[in-house]
Amino acid sequence: MNSGGCDHLSAFKEEKGIEPFRIIFSYFISCCSRESRKRKALALQCHTCRQMSPRLHSCLHCVFFGCFGAKHIHQHAKSKNHELSMDLTYGAILCRVCSDYVYDREIEELFRTQQRKSALLLGMLNPFSPWEPSEMEVELLHQNPKRRKIDGNSTIGLRGLINLGNTCFMNCIVQALTHTPLLRDYFLSDQHKCQMTQESQQCLVCEMSRLFQEFYSGVRTPHTPYRLLHLVWTHARHLAGYEQQDAHEFLIAALDVIHQHCKASRNKEDADGNTAQVCDCIIDRIFTGGLQSDVTCQECNILYTFRLEMSPRLSTPSGISPWISAPRKTTLHLVSWSDPCATDSHTLISAVFSNGLDRFEEATSLTYCLRRFTRPEHLGSTAKIKCSKCHNYQESTKQLTMKKLPLVACFHLKRFEHSTGYHKKISTYVSFPEELDMTPFMSASRDNNNGYSHQVIQEAASGLTSENKYSLYAVVNHRGTADTGHYTCFIRQHKSHWFRCEDHLITKASLDYEVLKSEGYLLFYHKQILDYE
Amino acid sequence: MADSEFQAIQDRKVRDEQMRNMINRKLVESGERERLKELLRERLIECGWRDQLKAHCKDVVRQKGLENITVDDLVAEITPKGRSLVPDQVKKELLQRIRSFLASQTNI
Repeated sequence: MNSGGCDHLSAFKEEKGIEPFRIIFSYFISCCSRESRKRKALALQCHTCRQMSPRLHSCLHCVFFGCFGAKHIHQHAKSKNHELSMDLTYGAILCRVCSDYVYDREIEELFRTQQRKSALLLGMLNPFSPWEPSEMEVELLHQNPKRRKIDGNSTIGLRGLINLGNTCFMNCIVQALTHTPLLRDYFLSDQHKCQMTQESQQCLVCEMSRLFQEFYSGVRTPHTPYRLLHLVWTHARHLAGYEQQDAHEFLIAALDVIHQHCKASRNKEDADGNTAQVCDCIIDRIFTGGLQSDVTCQECNILYTFRLEMSPRLSTPSGISPWISAPRKTTLHLVSWSDPCATDSHTLISAVFSNGLDRFEEATSLTYCLRRFTRPEHLGSTAKIKCSKCHNYQESTKQLTMKKLPLVACFHLKRFEHSTGYHKKISTYVSFPEELDMTPFMSASRDNNNGYSHQVIQEAASGLTSENKYSLYAVVNHRGTADTGHYTCFIRQHKSHWFRCEDHLITKASLDYEVLKSEGYLLFYHKQILDYE
Repeated sequence: MADSEFQAIQDRKVRDEQMRNMINRKLVESGERERLKELLRERLIECGWRDQLKAHCKDVVRQKGLENITVDDLVAEITPKGRSLVPDQVKKELLQRIRSFLASQTNI
């Protein structure tokens, strides 16, 4: 492999220019019209054996196509003394004298433009192109010659966190966040551009960035997250102090502060006051999905469909979600049913738990909770809607389904009950799967049933497609009582290794015997297939 | 082997060959081949195939030395591994896509 370029190719280019390359490429590799595709389909065969073989090459000196596998192109090149030929699949140039493929920057640039044109014609908007380092990145790679290869058994990314005084609520969330694949990729690829240039020390996103560096640096001693704690205290005052806090509350606060510090779409939001527009900060890109709420008038069966944003960020500690008033199409009547429980993916399980003690026996699996969450619910006589068809206040049913799935679904099993006078922790075991298919809970499944089914479950369709499947990657657990206790978590490393994190201690864990048997409090699921944007 | 039997096998070979060429032509002509390639590319990236193969290539190049290896050596070296690492799910999906494409073509 000659990295210095090929003299024969340079000489050829000197003599004939770049045009011959362009012609062959645009007619036989990436066609830019129907006509040329037709011609290509007929012409693509070896001139020696008349086969449409893979790895066909075209001579650059005369009109000749020959297969590579059967060496017909080699024979031609040798007998005619033609040095250069071009591979008709990707456009790589083969030099007979160098007996290898050779490269030229100008030609490759030309091919790339041609390829993009052709892809666009076929309706492929963003065809894949491999990452190529910019000049600055090349420079950086030279300056930092140390490389780290991470294999399947590497423990890199595992690091304990010192407890700074009842900060286990923070430690377990930090563990879950640092092991969120998409967040990790975002931070380790240095994509955050700090918006708080004046006071970047105050930026929680920058701190997260540093935290990821700490976690994936390969250092094995526990990390002391004092800076993070300090920032949390500064930005989320209600969490300040050395008291025990709720991990869920911390998660919401952390995500919200990170979102604010990303600021990426703030201007957009302010411009037209359109809060329904989804923010494109990394938090919203990963954690935000959409719900559909279908309200059916009991009298005339007319259906009203509303879209709601669901984001853990938007759920406030009290459980009343401010976004209820956000969708502008909703009438006031609908705002009034602000059911504090059935709101977003985050608190959706609370719908089950907060409905009263008698339900606990039933609520024994996550899928059951989701089914309950997405089943039609009678709104009763106290929450009548004004139907625009029969012009009357009518009783109705409401059904929530998932319109758009978030990339990371975080389920909060509401185990703490705080009523006036007593605090109670519910320790019921709720089973949760390692792999979760959300298809039955999607709005599409509901619509397929003409909107009249009382249960949206469509078992048949699931299993065939992995489009809506999620994998468990972190579980936060709480032991103790509603007033005092301790948080630990399980996190997934690589594809199938599980570890238990308890502050500075990290131990290997078994998925079947420990993780799935634990009394989950927060469950983190990652989508298996990510769509291209 | 009887001559007629031999003839029948020969005929079939020729017919298969013609069929293959025709399908290939259809795929190229309609642009479906490019779409399939892009789909395959996406799937192979998603399942980590590309990263695995890339790492393997790097190992091979490092082992033999950049100056002493040709693209063809590299292809020969990694092809068996590359083939075996393609997940069945991906093959199935591609096959399914090709089938439905052919089904949509009336003149085959």
